[in-house]
Amino acid sequence: MQQPILWIHGEALGPANPALRAHPGRPAVFVFDAELLAGRSPTTGDPASGAESVSLKRIGFLYECLLELPVSLRKGDVAAEVLAFARAHGADGIVTSAGTDPRVEAICAQLERELPVEVLPVEPFVTLQDHVDLGRFSRYWRRAEREVWAGWSPEQ
Amino acid sequence: MASEPLAGAPLPWPEQPGDLPRRFASRAALEQQLRALFPEAPGALSPIRGGRRQAEQLLGRVQPERYAKARNFLNGPVTRLSPYIRHGALTLAEVRDAVFARTRSRQGSEKLINELGWRDYWQRLWQQLGDGIWRDQEELKTGHQPGAYARELPADVAEGRTGLACMDGFIAELHETGWLHNHARMWLAAYLVHWRRVRWQAGAQWFLRHLLDGDPASNNLSWQWVASSFSHKPYFFNRGNLERYSNGTFCRSCPLSEQGCPFDASYEQLEAELFAPMPAIRSGGSDRQPRRQTSRGSATTANPSAFSRPTRRR
Repeated sequence: MQQPILWIHGEALGPANPALRAHPGRPAVFVFDAELLAGRSPTTGDPASGAESVSLKRIGFLYECLLELPVSLRKGDVAAEVLAFARAHGADGIVTSAGTDPRVEAICAQLERELPVEVLPVEPFVTLQDHVDLGRFSRYWRRAEREVWAGWSPEQ
Repeated sequence: MASEPLAGAPLPWPEQPGDLPRRFASRAALEQQLRALFPEAPGALSPIRGGRRQAEQLLGRVQPERYAKARNFLNGPVTRLSPYIRHGALTLAEVRDAVFARTRSRQGSEKLINELGWRDYWQRLWQQLGDGIWRDQEELKTGHQPGAYARELPADVAEGRTGLACMDGFIAELHETGWLHNHARMWLAAYLVHWRRVRWQAGAQWFLRHLLDGDPASNNLSWQWVASSFSHKPYFFNRGNLERYSNGTFCRSCPLSEQGCPFDASYEQLEAELFAPMPAIRSGGSDRQPRRQTSRGSATTANPSAFSRPTRRR
């Protein structure tokens, strides 16, 4: 990708966003996701219940985070808006950051129908080799605690 | 509300028609514009401001050792970083490194690092479960069938007029600020699910509409923990526990303080009142019943955090 645009999503609204770090100065866009804000996605609403809109507090909080970043703001259908932004900037691809929300991956799949998408990893809290049993926290923490603390030394 | 102008970081590319505004005369003007742009979103702005600068200020005030000692009190030194972490204004790795940088003895910071671990754990589970995070992970251990729980949030709860000073106080704070201390989240969740017998999903969805840090990982799995679909026993509490960790603030002004407080009982009484007898865990002769989790239960689980993970307290 020579001329990518950056898609910023709601899990990475800070300077540690790996897409912003890898491509400083490239056009970046955040889209207020109409479905999500209406409570019609599992990110904000029970799929088995009626949808209820997310409160203005949450939108305001996101907005204030976003004002500190070099990013254009849109609202509506995320994939459609990101692709329109990419076209307007003559982009040859889209760079974003990995998200935990399955919605991020689903949107990436929509974007990929039109343009190549590169998903950059976020610095992890802890890296665990091979499979971890997530049945209960204690099982996870038995493995993770040692690895996390390996990064600390008293002389820091 | 402060009146200084809010200007977005400069953009090195031209604006396009349909771009949302990035410059406001004041925070009040931002609120007004957002109301016009998102007319279906109820409420007003939170007094809690978004952004990296706010996050860094809070991060600078983190005191791991004090946190370890007093975090369970509503006025205790919790970090209030959860909304910033949820939206990546700060990453969990950045918080970890900031805690390490001020850690002289490992023991003093172990609790706070453990709580960051809870956030990581819930995120890993979300990745694994996907949208299945809205379904019961296990059977309920309350002795009640799933169908015994109401599907909808009761109107008095949604409007914060239950008549209980504590619960109405928590609901007002949730609605006004979008943030609650973890202990308040646990009490409110236990009240809704066990005393009012409402399915946890209704409460989880309500929280997600309001919490600045709301994501289905920490939120839904903590509701399931309270409900007992992601733990060995339901979580409940009594007045003594709530009164202690809220420093009596609510009970002093509660009209039900002298008579009619539904939490004013021993754990044995509440257990008998709230839950139905459980069938034996194993068939084939065992008549053991699972012990239920109370605020003074055994020490096999961890403690509350700013990341909406509930727990029992001694």
